[in-house]
Amino acid sequence: MTAIAATARRQGGRDRSALLTGLLILPASIWYVFLLVAPLAIVVVMSFGEKARNGGYVPAFVLDNYARVLERPDPFLDSLRLATLGTILTMLVALPLAYFLATRAGRRKGLLVLLLVIPFWTSFLIRTYSWLIILGPRAVASFFQDLLGDERFRILGTDLAVLIGVTYGYLPLMVFPIYVTLERMDRTLVEASKDLGAGRWATFRQITLPIALPGLITGSILVFIPMMGEYVIPAILGYGQTFLIGNALVLDFLEARHWPAGAAKAVGLIAVMLITITAYLWFLNRGRQTRDVSVL
Amino acid sequence: MANRDLDWYLRQAARTRVNRRSFLAAAGLVGGGAALAACTGGATTAPTSAPGSDAPSVGPTTAPEVESEFFLYNWSDYVNPENIETFKAEFGVSNYVYDTFANNEELLAKLTGGASGYDVACPTAEFIPGMVEEGFIQKLDKSRIPNYAHIDPNLLSQSWDPNNEYHIPKDFGTTGILYRSKVVTEPLTSWREFYDLATGKYSQRVVMVDSLGDVLVMPLKMLGYSLNETDPAKLDEARALLMDLAPHILALDSDTYQDKLSTEEAVLCLGWTGPLLELRANPETEDTKYVVPSEGTLFWLDTWVMLADAPHPNASYAWLDFIHRPDIQALETEYNGYATPNVEAKPLVSQELLDDPAIFPPDDVMSNLEGADYLVTDDEGRLDLWADFKSALG
Amino acid sequence: MSAPAVPATVAGRVGRGRSRAGIDRFGSLVEGAFRTHAVLAYAFLYLPIVIVIVFAFNANRLATIWTEFSTDWFGVALGNSVVQAALRNSLIVAVANAVLATLFGTMAALGLQRVPKRLRIVFDALTYVSIIVPEIVIALATLVFFASVFDIVNPVLLDLQGGGTGAFKLSFGHATIVAAHVLFNTSLVLLLVRARLSGMDRTMVEASYDLFATPWRTFRQITFPQLLPAIVAGFLLAFTFSFDDYVITTFVSGPGSSTLPLYVFGQIKRGVSPETNAVAAMIFAFTIGVLLLGQVLLLWQARRSGRRGAADASLSGMIAEQR
Repeated sequence: MTAIAATARRQGGRDRSALLTGLLILPASIWYVFLLVAPLAIVVVMSFGEKARNGGYVPAFVLDNYARVLERPDPFLDSLRLATLGTILTMLVALPLAYFLATRAGRRKGLLVLLLVIPFWTSFLIRTYSWLIILGPRAVASFFQDLLGDERFRILGTDLAVLIGVTYGYLPLMVFPIYVTLERMDRTLVEASKDLGAGRWATFRQITLPIALPGLITGSILVFIPMMGEYVIPAILGYGQTFLIGNALVLDFLEARHWPAGAAKAVGLIAVMLITITAYLWFLNRGRQTRDVSVL
Repeated sequence: MANRDLDWYLRQAARTRVNRRSFLAAAGLVGGGAALAACTGGATTAPTSAPGSDAPSVGPTTAPEVESEFFLYNWSDYVNPENIETFKAEFGVSNYVYDTFANNEELLAKLTGGASGYDVACPTAEFIPGMVEEGFIQKLDKSRIPNYAHIDPNLLSQSWDPNNEYHIPKDFGTTGILYRSKVVTEPLTSWREFYDLATGKYSQRVVMVDSLGDVLVMPLKMLGYSLNETDPAKLDEARALLMDLAPHILALDSDTYQDKLSTEEAVLCLGWTGPLLELRANPETEDTKYVVPSEGTLFWLDTWVMLADAPHPNASYAWLDFIHRPDIQALETEYNGYATPNVEAKPLVSQELLDDPAIFPPDDVMSNLEGADYLVTDDEGRLDLWADFKSALG
Repeated sequence: MSAPAVPATVAGRVGRGRSRAGIDRFGSLVEGAFRTHAVLAYAFLYLPIVIVIVFAFNANRLATIWTEFSTDWFGVALGNSVVQAALRNSLIVAVANAVLATLFGTMAALGLQRVPKRLRIVFDALTYVSIIVPEIVIALATLVFFASVFDIVNPVLLDLQGGGTGAFKLSFGHATIVAAHVLFNTSLVLLLVRARLSGMDRTMVEASYDLFATPWRTFRQITFPQLLPAIVAGFLLAFTFSFDDYVITTFVSGPGSSTLPLYVFGQIKRGVSPETNAVAAMIFAFTIGVLLLGQVLLLWQARRSGRRGAADASLSGMIAEQR
């Protein structure tokens, strides 16, 4: 084929490609519009409303709910603390594991990946209650009680128990993104680096880490965000000692039945988190080129 | 049989809550809604039921045909499975659906949001007035429930349903003090004693249920007030008591407090009688005791109600009448371990349960009980107090 | 690439020979550390499962006190029709959701490469918002949305069908649950696939175009195999989240579509009973059993056809990068 014909064919393909692009993002777009934007529009509208006599929402336009959002910052700060510590801890556990799976697991790789999720097909609540037994006064805690000679030593009801619980629960969310990015890393790059005399750490820092970075970022976002809303694990393993954003929202929607107040808190939370994520991504992706070439 | 014409449906639609329609007006989603309808295909066939819920059904003499389906929305494990089987066999209800909710708040939120499809639900009594006002439940035609006559009149005509139009009592109980008597040897018969022991000797070995309405009973009754108190000055006094108690609480836990009691992690508990029978049945924990405090406490009543758009009204009435047959009720009591409101059923219940003051409180205790007031369940002052208390726990 | 020719002593100091030795000295230590960490991580993951299984054999109804060994609870669980229905619903919903979410998310990830920047930013924002939104909020809002839609559409539908009984109408059930789950999981798959896509080698794609391959062919033979680990990972996660979801499912489900988490959460009110443990144990045993069976079958097949590499044709191989 001549070069001209080749170019013509490619150009024709590009005109059709707009249609193709549209079709590709269509299903997700439909879902976003109807099951995200529409419900969120409802939430925003609700946030300006007033509580119905028996709970729920009546149309109104008041700013009271937003004014009250800032009244009690503690739940937000406590959630922030939990999410930050939890994400860091999860990353510390997940990164070596993901690296091992991606580079050292060889043929058993897929099997091990599957084995990673299978525990999460048992009920979340049952798993969490199992931790109550494991960390409880008849097992691990009693072991440490004897060791330290302190009868009142307790793991459950402390931050440690909660951190163990959330790390456990969110581990796959951190492992998978790191794994899928590391897994396609070209091993020869690492070998070349070693051939050039770079130490392990230098190789890791300059070859492995940059490649893993998108996975690390995705993983940390996928873990941090839901952890901000987490309240069940702290209620069970933390013995309900902390009052987090999740608790505040449940209080608003279910017990106080003050939907507008809850809606305003939710809108505030979403706004803050969105800004945080954007800043986080911008900061980390600075200087990294995003290529626009299609992979189709 | 009346055909449901477009007018009827438009009237139904007009009766729905203002809020939802205003959302749609704002969002302009009508077209999108039609598209969604085409996409989701979340279909069921309309129920094979008798005429619409407005019209009172035929009297007991010519019993209308019971549908083959029945959708119950209830607490978990709250009906004797034997009774379900008997009901299914006797009335030919082949599809008996028993879905569960975890607490009243969930039920209410779901109904408030617009959920539908169930026939009968089981809320706690104090939520009935709100459900009535919102149009979630319908009046009961008592002529279709002959066994209603067995209900103890003392439990009827309460504030939550003064004319007894909307509910049938299911079972009742109290909120009280559970404790391990082999550890706690001090006298324990009142909230005051509970409080002193909790803030003193047994600090950090106390667990309370995670429920505002139950926990607030303690300080309010200690101060001699009604447990439905909303007066800010009185709430402040209760607040002072609770804030002093907060550091001594091991956990707020509605679901596994029996486990904490069984391991002696906690020896004092503000809770319900649910786990009591099990704990007493175990040799290791048979020293567990339940006390209704002398200052008085909360009386709770779980009820059967029929939802406004119940798709199977005939099956619903059949169930409501069936469940209060004395022999059936007795089986319920044996299974659930909660007191029955059915006078005819009581003689059929085992003596052991009847004699248990935790399950069937004696008359003098009953007179000292107070029911929860619906209007108070979401009082802002109380909720703020609760949020502050929970924040102070850590 | 060839190593520069340097005298042995210089090379030693520059680092070739000596660093190699140095690396190797740490090497086995580091390797051992990685392996130990992995083993510990899996032990950590499976420890609660072991407890669940052990306590499924507890004769005592109270989970915390071990009385004696008993298999009774398994019988109870197997005979419990409510549990069976719940499990069935969970599977239907989770699989449907995983298929849709993986499809939509992968497609969107591919398509997003090509959209104008402004649109992509909007899309990104929506993706993150869908993950940021607390579950109770999206659950109730989606419930209100569905209810509103039903209120408007159902009268029209029923009227079109002439009203009366046996008519088709929208209601809460499997479809509403799947629809709600697919939202979050699409975003999940989208993020996973994009993480994989970013920095992927485009030269092969360009080469493919240069060789006049159609977009579909390029996708099938170049892109798809490289994306497969992320797609499979996304599918697994989407399935897991749906299978285990409670809050959203509670509010958008309808009569008869209760899932396993709803059953378990409701059960908790009466205390965790060994019956629930038995259910979980059986699910676990079943999945492991299927997995083992699959592995055994494939090994057997490989041995039969005498191809060493045939083991890679297993699921493990699919997830591993194709060479």
